[in-house]
Amino acid sequence: MRAVLNLDLEVCTGDFLAIFGPNGAGKTTLLKMVAGLTQPTSGDIQFTSQDGHSGRERVGYVSHQSFLYNELTGIENLIFYGRLYGVGEVRERADAMLVKMGLRDARHRKVGEYSRGMKQRLTLARALLHEPDLLLLDEPYTGLDQHGSRLFTEVLQGLKEEGRTVLLITHNLGAGLELCSRVVIQNKGELVFQASRRQLDASEFERLYFQAVEGKKNLESRIQNSEV
Amino acid sequence: MNQVALTWILAEKDLKVAYRSPQAFLTTGFFALLILVIFNFAFDPGSQATREATPGILWVALLFPGIIQLNHSFQAEMEEGTLYGLILSPTDRGVLFFGKVLANWVFLVVVDLFVLVVFVIFYNFSFSVQMLWVVLIIVLASVGFAAVGTVFAAMLSSIRTREVLLPILLFPIIIPIILAAVNGTQEVLILEEAQFLHRWLQLLIAFDVIFLASGFLLFDYVVAE
Repeated sequence: MRAVLNLDLEVCTGDFLAIFGPNGAGKTTLLKMVAGLTQPTSGDIQFTSQDGHSGRERVGYVSHQSFLYNELTGIENLIFYGRLYGVGEVRERADAMLVKMGLRDARHRKVGEYSRGMKQRLTLARALLHEPDLLLLDEPYTGLDQHGSRLFTEVLQGLKEEGRTVLLITHNLGAGLELCSRVVIQNKGELVFQASRRQLDASEFERLYFQAVEGKKNLESRIQNSEV
Repeated sequence: MNQVALTWILAEKDLKVAYRSPQAFLTTGFFALLILVIFNFAFDPGSQATREATPGILWVALLFPGIIQLNHSFQAEMEEGTLYGLILSPTDRGVLFFGKVLANWVFLVVVDLFVLVVFVIFYNFSFSVQMLWVVLIIVLASVGFAAVGTVFAAMLSSIRTREVLLPILLFPIIIPIILAAVNGTQEVLILEEAQFLHRWLQLLIAFDVIFLASGFLLFDYVVAE
């Protein structure tokens, strides 16, 4: 069984790419490969930053696990990760990120006491602390209530305005479309649809999404019937 | 930032987390205490046969509870995916290994020294200069135990039966350490002249180096998905 298959994708600097697809489509595996958590069995992943370097220090990753230590405070978590990434003036940088994420008042509280929304914002702060060239977001809206989702979307909107390169996996078609500049749909490991956001009509996208996903299934059943 | 500083940052993080959630420390310490108490009830502390068995009793009380800490060290990392956070960072995997080993070693030594104090009281030994040799043996044996244990705990961290598998896999590998530790302790506590103590210490140091080097080389493959 292959989680990702025949996938050829180019992401340009400043792209905000939304990746949609059903469960088991291979989206998370794709992001893990880009992050370096999983190695592809064939092919390669190439990316370069403005200074020509590439490596784990250039990537920020947010998944539905927070990667945060519940027994450490918010600022302790950020200082720890900042030191791992070689961030200069790490305490000041951590403070600035906490202010940006609206978590300054909670910085001395243990992360275990945070709400889900606060954790996700701190997770995003952790991922942005070292100013990555590429930000990977794997279903960051999971478990967030509407208020938390709105706050998170506002933060991501800010990143878009800053011109960050972002790959976002989400099941939230509306939030994804609102933010993205490009859309891809992945199904059964393969990219079945790609388009610029400008080419899409938001009201029609849900229908288009189901067509793209089901279109593959229908195509397969037609092939099987012809073989029989 | 240099590798030594990073190693300390990683270890400091683990020690801070352990200090703030002392469940593992309490469980480990209590288990060790229980072993000493049970053996104290089972054998007459005043008899010569019991005295000759005390090195083995001490190391049962030190090693088995240590498994709890080793399991806990990676279990905590799996809960919120923090192990992935460490793997994603540009930190060398070898530095991750040494940071974990350092933290586990400090934790084991702290617990072991507490166990040693209780052992000395229960089994009618004295807090003499001789005990410093036992402390040295504990410190050295804990290095190898922590090194191998860290590798296996990482390997088994995502497996549900890790608490069962860890001692099964770990103890055969650390037999040289157990052998050296028990015999070295016997030389100090039981025999009148500890003429072979230096040999057991050399064996401990040799296997510490082997296990640290092996763990450093293998850790990259162990934590790769």
